[in-house]
Formats: sequence, C-alpha cells, structure tokens
Amino acid sequence: MIQLKGITKTYYRGKVETPVLLGIDLHVREGEFLAIMGPSGSGKSTLLHILGLLDRPTGGSYRLDGIEVSSLSDDELARLRNDKLGFVFQAFHLLPKSTALDNVLLPFTYAGHFPADAQEQARRALGRVGLEHRLHHRPGEMSGGECQRVAIARALVNDPEVIFADEPTGNLDQRSSLEIISILQGLHAEGRTIVLVTHDTAVGCMCRRLLRVVYGKVVSDEPVADPTVALQQLQTLKEAAK
Amino acid sequence: MSLAWRLLKTAVISLWAFRSYAALMMIGLIIGIASLTVIHQIGQGAQQAVSARMTSMGFGADAFYISSGGGRLGVRRGMKRAVTLTPADADAISRLDGVTHVVPHKNVARTQVSAGGNNTNTRVRGATPGWAAARNWAVLMGRFVTRTDIGQSARVAVLGTTVVRELFGEADPMGKRIRIGRTPFIVIGVLESKGSSGWRDRDDLILVPLSTATKRLSRDDKISGMRVTMTDASRVGEIKAEVTNVLRENHSLGPGVPDDFLIITPDELMKLLTRQSRSLVAMLTFVSAVSLFVSGVVIMNIMLVAVSERAYEIGVRRAVGARRRDILYQILMESLMVAAAGGVCGLFLGLLLSYLATWLLAIPTAFSPTGFLWALGFSAGVGLLFGVAPAKKAAGLNPVEALR
Ligand SMILES: Nc1ncnc2c1ncn2[C@@H]1O[C@H](COP(=O)(O)OP(=O)(O)OP(=O)(O)O)[C@@H](O)[C@H]1O
Ligand SMILES: [Mg+2]
Repeated sequence: MIQLKGITKTYYRGKVETPVLLGIDLHVREGEFLAIMGPSGSGKSTLLHILGLLDRPTGGSYRLDGIEVSSLSDDELARLRNDKLGFVFQAFHLLPKSTALDNVLLPFTYAGHFPADAQEQARRALGRVGLEHRLHHRPGEMSGGECQRVAIARALVNDPEVIFADEPTGNLDQRSSLEIISILQGLHAEGRTIVLVTHDTAVGCMCRRLLRVVYGKVVSDEPVADPTVALQQLQTLKEAAK
Repeated sequence: MSLAWRLLKTAVISLWAFRSYAALMMIGLIIGIASLTVIHQIGQGAQQAVSARMTSMGFGADAFYISSGGGRLGVRRGMKRAVTLTPADADAISRLDGVTHVVPHKNVARTQVSAGGNNTNTRVRGATPGWAAARNWAVLMGRFVTRTDIGQSARVAVLGTTVVRELFGEADPMGKRIRIGRTPFIVIGVLESKGSSGWRDRDDLILVPLSTATKRLSRDDKISGMRVTMTDASRVGEIKAEVTNVLRENHSLGPGVPDDFLIITPDELMKLLTRQSRSLVAMLTFVSAVSLFVSGVVIMNIMLVAVSERAYEIGVRRAVGARRRDILYQILMESLMVAAAGGVCGLFLGLLLSYLATWLLAIPTAFSPTGFLWALGFSAGVGLLFGVAPAKKAAGLNPVEALR
C-alpha cells in the first residue's frame, strides 16, 4: 500500500540547508498498525507529513497504492487526501467555531460530490468514537479527549485507506490517551491501516509494528511482540480509581 | 443540505467568528456606498426638478427662446450683455410662416420701488399680454397687461407677491399708486405666487406693459428676449434657421460676424441643464469612487491580517482535502459577502439620508432603481477585487506550515 524508497527531505531557509530525512525506506501493507518513534527533532513529523501527502519529499520515491505521488499535481494530492487519507493531530486541529458535527462533515465539503446522507455518516462516525451525545458541542465546550475523538471521527468519516496520527495522545492525560488508543486499536481490528507517531513507549507498545527513526534514518523496524490492549489498561485504571 | 448551502454556511460562520473584522471592513464601504446613493438620488432629483421647471416656464417642445447678445449656451456670457433685439425684430419673426406667437419682454435693471412710506428693490420687466399664458403664470387679483395698455404705454403695474408684501404688507394693493424709480404707476393686478427656484425668488418682480418699459423706464427701445411658438414641434429646426437669417439681416451682420443674439431651443436647454447636473454627479461619483477604493484597500488589509490569523483553519481545510482553489473561492466568497452586506447597509443608509435631505433641507431627491443596482454592483466589485490578494495569500499557504 505504502512504498517509500530513499525518501529525503531537506529544508531550505535562505542559504541554510537543514537535511531532516536522509533516505527512508519503508513498506506499509494494508491493515498494519505502525508506530514511528524517535527522539525529538529526528524527523518523525516530517515523515508523517510526506506520508500524508501534506508535503513533498526532496528526493526518493513514494508509491501510494502503486501510484508515484511525486508525479501528481497539488489538486490531485488534495483529492487523494480527501479520498484515501485521514489525519489526527496532536493539537486536534478542529475548527473552533464549528460544532462537532460540522467538523466531522468538513471532509465532505471538499469531496467530489456531497453525499445525500452526509449527516447520517457523520453521526455514525461520531457514534463510533462514543460521542453521539456531543453532536452540537463546539470544541471549546468539550474535553481534550473528546476533541481528539471528534478529530478521529473526522478522519474516519470518508472511509479512508490509511489514518495518520501525529502524537494523538501528546496533549492528553493517561486515561484519555488510553481511550484514544483503544479506539484506534478497534479501528485496526476492523482492518484499517494506521500510522502513528509517538514519544510514548507505552503507546508504541500498543501498536503492532515499531519503527525507530534517529536523525532522519530508520534505525530499527520490528513487530511488537505482545501488544498491550488499551481497553484492558483502561479497565484496570478505572478499577484503581474506585 | 447541498454543497452550495454548506459553502454559504461556512462563509457565514467564519464571518460571524470574525465579526469585529467584518464590521471594520464594512464601515468604509457603508460610507462610500451611502454617499454614492445620496449623490445619485440628488442628481436624479435635480434632473426631475429641471424638467419640472422647464414645463413651468412654458418651455414646450414647440417653442424656443431668443435672447439678446451673442455667445454660446452654457458659456458664461458678459455680465453686461448687449441688448440687441428690437420690437421690429419681434414683428418680422411673428410674420414668418409657421410662427404662431411671439412673446417679447424687456428686463429693466433692478429698480427702487416705493408706495406710501415703503421701499423695495425689485426686478422690473416689460411684458405683452401673451406673457402670462406663455409661462403658465396666472393673475391672482385684478388683471394682466392688455393691448390697450401697450397702445397707450400705460403706467400700470402687475406685482409679484413678494413686492406686494414689501410695499403693502397685508393691505389691499389694487388701484394703489406706486413709484418705479420716479415714475408713478397704478397697481392693476397681482400675480399668483410661484415660490423660489433655487436661489431666486420668482415672486420678486413687477410687470409693466412692454411699451411702457421701453419708452418710460429705459433709454432704449430694445428688448431682452422673446419666446417664439410654432405650429408644430417638428418645424423648430427650420424656423430657427429662418429666424437667424431674418435677425442677421435686420442687424446688418456681414458674413463672418458672429450672431448678436442666441436662440435657445428646449432640446439644447434640457441637454445643458442635465449635462451640468450630470457633470456634478460625475464629479461626486468620482469622489465616492475614491472613497470606495480606499475602503477596498482597507478591506484587503484587514483580510490579509485575518488570513494570517486563520492560517491554522486553512491548514486544517487543506489537510482534509481542500484544494488551493477551494480556499481561494472561500475567501473570495467571504469578501464578496462582506462587501455586498456593506453595500446593502450603505444603500439603505443613503436612502435614509437622502430622505432626510429632502425632508429637512428641501433638496429634491428621487429614487432610481439603476442606482440600486450600481450600489450593489460596485460593492460586490470592490469585494471581489480587493478579496483577490487575501484569497491568493490564503490559497498559497503551505498546509504543513499553516498547521504548525
Ligand atoms: N519548515 C522548516 N524549516 C526548517 N527546518 C525545519 C522545518 N520544519 C522542521 N524543521 C526541522 O526539521 C527537524 C525535524 O522536525 P520534525 O518536526 O519532523 O521533528 P519531530 O521528530 O517530529 O520532532 P518532535 O518529536 O519534537 O515533534 C527539526 O530539527 C526541525 O527544526
Ligand atoms: Mg513532531
């Protein structure tokens, strides 16, 4: 599904060159749940942006579903983002003035055609993340965990092939983090492909495959032996709280 | 819920979110469009007043006016215009084929007039019996100048209401003696009141028989002008040419010598008057166009600021699949909506102000639907034009940097 070969990225700011990615090879198959970890500044976000077609690499080849994306126009990339990809960001990135429902409807606005049952689909996506009771709340009226769940619903609503998440638990407490990861684990169990960036080793251990990046290079890439089940942790946490 | 509806809703939501900006953006436009509307309404009103005035002057399409002294219509002629027309000219013209009436008059310089102990200074004009009918001016009391008065160069006077008020107050002026300069006259009639036309009080005048004016009140027997009525309007051009020949011959003007009289046809007068009001309107329109341009620049700058503040929102939209042009259209749509809203507000403010102008200052104004469309079109144009730069800036944002 995702095939990276020798991906490099160098930022140019005036005469200053900042090489960030120094040749990344990566193959992600359908249905995988991949975590990318590494020290701060190692280029994880940069890599995720390239994977998510938000940015273009300086060199190398990226094939998504067999299509070489470097040959695509900006508009075609936008269409692919809308069609095949979903994003979850650390800072949620919801539109603050729009309700949860409107936020989730946003991708449809930019889809080729606006489906007649868009509202229904958006409600279902919000139901999937357990927010059927928050349809008309605005981000300011919801907790961080709820906001991130709205963001997941938004990433989910267009039925994407891959969901990218950049530190989705970075702004959340332990319990909300577990809720978010358990939702992602559920989506993975349904067969979705998920690529997630995290600092948190505990979160990394809840994925199925762990890629370590240091200074723009992949230093290790191995399956997670015995992934933690977030739901169980959540239960333990709730019991401990009683 | 269709896509168009969603886009509109999006625009409304963001405008509401940025309502203080939106209000700032609209102020300049409201003022610009309001003044444009007022100007247009006044221009329209002036035009209507001109045609009403011409009708009241009896300036039908089947008549023209000959004025003493040369020059061109609309060009300011010498203050002391030569008085060149004579009663003989009037006679010759009245004998032309197709001419039905010639109504000459003579303007005497403003003169001191007295009655009893009261004095006033007023316009004195020599007229013939046809004068009142030609100007749709009725006699309120007594009678008008008659042929007999003309034959006898009688010292009789018909007064405008302002003169009556100045000389007699509430008392009955009929049959009373007045002095025009040093010459004694008897009041035989009072004209109905016409009110003022702009700066000039039309009731501030005295009419005497034409022959009295030429023989007793001034040193020459020339006349100031005459109104010529024809059998039908289609002959105006032809008769104007004939009159020109007759007058040039009577005044012995050789070839190359310019006319010492001016024939003013209703067409030309109307054109001149509307041209004057139109150039006034054009000038004021230019002024408000400048203010609209300025408000456009203000709109542009505020939107540029708003776009940087909204970089994050734009990044989100791009991340979920908005193309550059989707962002471009969104921002354009917003500036268009703000501008159109400002335009509509300005329009209503302008209508209100011109209503007040009519009501409080008695300035004639008239509503015109074209003005309505102009205001809307103009503000929408400003919105589109000055929305382009912010929209391009927004569309050009890199989504990754916008989200940082
Ligand atoms: N637009 C840019 N111009 C110049 N340098 C940049 C730019 N964006 C990122 N960088 C640099 O690239 C490097 C990698 O950034 P990136 O955001 O990918 O790191 P990261 O691994 O996600 O770090 P963190 O864990 O702190 O989020 C950093 O050193 C950063 O300073
Ligand atoms: Mg990062």
